[in-house]
Amino acid sequence: MSVSYIPVQWNGFKHRYNLALALAVGLYLWIFVELGPALLGHANPITPQIHNARAFGSCAFLMMSVILMIGPLARLDVRFLPLLYNRRHFGVMTALVALSHFLFVFNWYFVFTPFPSWEALLFSNTAYDRALGFPFEAFGIFALLALLILAATSHDFWLSFLTPRIWKSLHYLIYPAYAAVVAHVTLGAAQGVRGLAFPVLVWSLALVVAGLHLAAWRKERRAAAAAGEWVPVCRPEEIEEGRARVVRLSGGERAAVFRHEGRFSAISNACAHQNGPLGEGRIVDGCVTCPWHGFQYRVEDGCSPAPFTEKVPTYRLRLRSGTIELDARANPPGTPVQPLEAPR
Amino acid sequence: MMLSPAAAMSNRVARIVAVQTAALLMDLARLWLWAGAAVSVPFLLWGVGRVEPNARDSWAFRPLLIPGVLLIWPLVLWRWFLLETGRDDWAKRHLPPRRAHAFAALLLAVLIPLTIIAGLAIRQGPPAGAPVLLEAPE
Repeated sequence: MSVSYIPVQWNGFKHRYNLALALAVGLYLWIFVELGPALLGHANPITPQIHNARAFGSCAFLMMSVILMIGPLARLDVRFLPLLYNRRHFGVMTALVALSHFLFVFNWYFVFTPFPSWEALLFSNTAYDRALGFPFEAFGIFALLALLILAATSHDFWLSFLTPRIWKSLHYLIYPAYAAVVAHVTLGAAQGVRGLAFPVLVWSLALVVAGLHLAAWRKERRAAAAAGEWVPVCRPEEIEEGRARVVRLSGGERAAVFRHEGRFSAISNACAHQNGPLGEGRIVDGCVTCPWHGFQYRVEDGCSPAPFTEKVPTYRLRLRSGTIELDARANPPGTPVQPLEAPR
Repeated sequence: MMLSPAAAMSNRVARIVAVQTAALLMDLARLWLWAGAAVSVPFLLWGVGRVEPNARDSWAFRPLLIPGVLLIWPLVLWRWFLLETGRDDWAKRHLPPRRAHAFAALLLAVLIPLTIIAGLAIRQGPPAGAPVLLEAPE
């Protein structure tokens, strides 16, 4: 396929998603800045700069929590999938909010030092040998760096250039970054407020995020354990002509079983372009068409039609007791597989 | 409480080490970013078009790649080398490491409760009694 890169690929859905997101962020910051001082109960009076830092910091934490909830929620219930589709824009906005938090802190605490400000940031607290007074800033710096790396590598180009495998591995940085943010808040802001309302709110959110990940992992583990090498998909009549049924495999991979001209074929559910959900697309002109950017693959061999060169893995199918079963051992990308004839 | 001369000297040495370590880290960070800038020029002008067919006639998006190259330039050089020399393994392109979801779930499930317990253990209550307003000395 040939889709020339542009700075940002927009569509109606992304416009609505980003508008709703920007409004939510703006509303949160307004409420925090305008109503926060009376509600938060700081142990000591704080300056407007610190208050702004906390507004942006808490907003970034909330956004990271929501981002990390979307993945497991979509794996637990497909109705959350639309939230997944524009998560990269969400992530970039989160990095910008976190950067704003950092700049408020940096420009208040570190610009009046006689030392170079950036160095003062690193040596102002070196009590790494104790829990009380531990330099919680270090956790925040790590998390911010991780968020900036993820935002800076969020363009489609990076996914293709690094390959989905390396890109995804890099973007797993979000998990240690989130754990670092929880530590940053727990050892920092949560120690400086009266009462437990704020810390409990933060910790509850973090526990929900961890709980959802555990629940999604357990669900996929049970599904993988129940299936052997041949995974039951569904009955043939349950797949519409030109459409697919997506099946989860052990290890979290997904395959899409398509019905084309009454016969069944299976390919990877992840598009070679951006890992778009091929199983949610349809067959157009004999080719599976990705719903995200229109990349196409022949259903029998997972190859893009000439002159294009993209390939995705294929899978073998068989019929047992009226049920289509899929061999979970993927063929190398572009391997032809004889389609399964529909029962008469 | 007065520190003994030895303890004061030890604190002073620790402070100097911390300042010098911070200066060294910042020098390394600057060096890293300069190296990234040096990589970004040939990569964005020539490399991108050579290794990525969809980027051949596209220039507007290239400035957006600069922050990424500055931050992960060793990875950029490595991938550029693999693609230029034809050593990229096509069969592995479509294996996103979803198995790592299990590791991520367990990581969060362990680290977050531990952090919360630590935070609760060190949390200090407010001082007992009403605060006293001190008078300025005459």
